[in-house]
Amino acid sequence: MSLQQIFKLFSLTLFLSATLFAYPQITQNIKDKKIYPMGQKIYKSKCKEKDFTNFKTYNSLYNTLNKEKACGDLSKKNVEILSVYLWDIKLHNSTSLEKLVVTKDEKCQVCGMFLHNYPSWVSRINYPKDETYNFDGMKCMFKFYFNNKKGITDILVQDYYTLKTIDARSSYFVVGSDVYGPMGHELVPFNDKKSANIFLLEHKGKKVYFFDEITEHMVRSLGH
Amino acid sequence: MKLQNIWFVVLATKINFYLLEYSLKYISRYKYKNIFIVLIMSTLVALLASTFFLSNAMKSEYNKLISNYPDIVVTNQQALRDTTINENSSYKILEIKGVSNVIPRVWGEYYFLNANKKFTILGKDEYEMYSNPLLNENLNLTKDSMVVSLNVKRILEDSYYDDYFNFIKADGNVKKMLITSVLEKSTLINGELLIIMNKESAKEIFEYSKNEVTDFGVSVANKNEIPFIAAKIKTIFPSAKITLKEDLKVHYENIYNLRSGFFLTVFIISFFTFFIIIYDKATGLNSEQRHEIGILKALGWRVGDVLNTKLYEGIIISLLSYILGIGLAFIYVYVMKAPYLKKIFLNNYSLISNYNINFSIDYETLALLFFLSVPIYIAATIIPSWRVATLEADEVMR
Repeated sequence: MSLQQIFKLFSLTLFLSATLFAYPQITQNIKDKKIYPMGQKIYKSKCKEKDFTNFKTYNSLYNTLNKEKACGDLSKKNVEILSVYLWDIKLHNSTSLEKLVVTKDEKCQVCGMFLHNYPSWVSRINYPKDETYNFDGMKCMFKFYFNNKKGITDILVQDYYTLKTIDARSSYFVVGSDVYGPMGHELVPFNDKKSANIFLLEHKGKKVYFFDEITEHMVRSLGH
Repeated sequence: MKLQNIWFVVLATKINFYLLEYSLKYISRYKYKNIFIVLIMSTLVALLASTFFLSNAMKSEYNKLISNYPDIVVTNQQALRDTTINENSSYKILEIKGVSNVIPRVWGEYYFLNANKKFTILGKDEYEMYSNPLLNENLNLTKDSMVVSLNVKRILEDSYYDDYFNFIKADGNVKKMLITSVLEKSTLINGELLIIMNKESAKEIFEYSKNEVTDFGVSVANKNEIPFIAAKIKTIFPSAKITLKEDLKVHYENIYNLRSGFFLTVFIISFFTFFIIIYDKATGLNSEQRHEIGILKALGWRVGDVLNTKLYEGIIISLLSYILGIGLAFIYVYVMKAPYLKKIFLNNYSLISNYNINFSIDYETLALLFFLSVPIYIAATIIPSWRVATLEADEVMR
C-alpha cells in the first residue's frame, strides 16, 4: 500500500466519522429531561406550522435550521436542541402516554380508598368501550387483574422515578423495598430494568420481577 | 316544615321570655360595669383575632411563594463561601434517576448607590422549563432589555432613569439596559426589587465567564425521592451546599416565628387580663347581688329560674363581645388591610415587603377564640350565683 492510499483511507475514515458523529453525543437521560422539553418549547414558540418530516439525515435538518434559519434567529445551542428534538420526536413519531389524572371523589376499585391523596401511585386498567378502573396502588391493581383478565386493552402504571405513565405489561416491579404505598408494602413499577436495579439497591428491595413473573400468590403475600 | 324550623320552634318554647327580660333589665341596671366588660372582652378578642388572621394570611402567602421554588438547590462553596459553579456539571445531576430537570440559574444582587437599594437580578433563558409560571411566560427579552418590578421602576424614576438603566460593571464600564415592561405583581421570593433579564446579559453584569452560573435548581418528579437524590448530589459535589425546599420552609418559618414570639407575649398578657376579670367574677358576688338572689328566692323563684337568668346574662354579654371583637378584627384585617400591625412583621430583610391579605374564613381561629371566651365567661357568671342560690333565702339575706 502506498503512502497516498493510506492517506486516502485515512481521510475517508475521517470524513465518515465526521458525518457519523454529527449527531451530538448526548445520553438518553439528558435528552429526556432537558433536550426534549426545551426543544418542544422552542418548536411551539418559533416554528409550529412548518413541516419537518422530509429530512433524510440529521445533518440536513441541522443545516436548514442553522444556515437557512428555518425557525428564525436562534443561538447555536438552541438550534442543536431543536434539531435533536425534531429528529428524535417528530420524525420518528415516539409518542408518550397521557398522565394519569384522578378527580377528588374517585375511589380505588378494590380497597375503596380515595385516589387523590396518593397521585404518584395511581394505576389504571382499561377495557374496550371506555370502561376504565382506577386503583390506588399496584397491589390493588394486580388483585383486580388476576380476577378479571379477559378483554383488557391497557394496563397503565406510573414509573416511580419519572412519574410518567408506562405500560405495565412491559414494566419491571421491585418487591420488598422500604418504600410504602398507600396500602403498605408495594410493587414499585419501573420503565426499564436499569432503574429498577438502582432502586433495588437504594431502597433495600428484595427482587426485580417482570410483569409476567408476578403471581397472584406473591401479591396476596404482600398483605391487604 | 323543615327540620331546622322545628328545632327553632322547640328552642323558642324553651326560652323563658320573662326571665330573659329580667336578665336584660339586670344588665341595664349595672350598665357601666357591663359595658366595661363588653369593651374589654371585645378588644381582647379583636386583638387576638386580628393577629391570628394576619399571621395566617402571611403564612399562606409564604407557602405559595415557596411552592414555586426548586426542590433542591445546589450551591458551590469554596472555603465555605458561596461561589459560582460550572454550567456543564449540571449534566452529572441530570444523569441521576428521579431528577426531572436541572436549571443552571444565574441570579444575584446589584447595589444601586444613589438610592441605597439592592436590586435582585434574575437571568432567564427563554426556552428553559421553570417551575415558576412567571418565568415560563415569554417576556420577549433581548440582549439589551429587561423587565423590572413596580418598586424598581419607582426607585429608578426617582433617579431620572425613565426608560433605561446603566449598570456599572466591575471593570468600570457601563451596560445600558432598556426597560421594556413593568411587573405589577411577582410570584417570586425576593420579588419586590426584582429585575428579570436575559441570562447572557445577567452574566455580563455579574462578570461571569461563559460557563459560570450561580447555582443549580433541581426538580424531582417523585417528592418521596428528594432526600436520596440530595445525598447522591452530595457525593458528586462534596463541597457543595445542598438546600432542600423543606429546609428553606423551616428557615423562613424561623424568621417568622421570631416575630410571632411577640404575638405570643400579647396572647399571654391578654389572656392573663381576661382571666383576672373572670377570677374576680367567679370568686364571689358582692352583698348587693347576694341579697338580690335571696329576695328572688324569698319571692318563690326556684334555683333553676335564678340560674336561667344568669345563663341568659352570660350568653348575651359574652356572645355580644365575641361577635363585636371578631367583626372588628375582620374590618381591621380584611377591609383596612391591617395598618401598623403589618409593619411589626416586616422589615427590609424580610422575604416579602408587601403581601396580599386574601380573604379567608379561618374556622380554627374562630373556634379557638369562641371556646376561650364564651363558655368561660358563662361559667364565671353561673357558678357563684349557683353557690348562693342553693342556700336558704334567710341565710343569704342575713
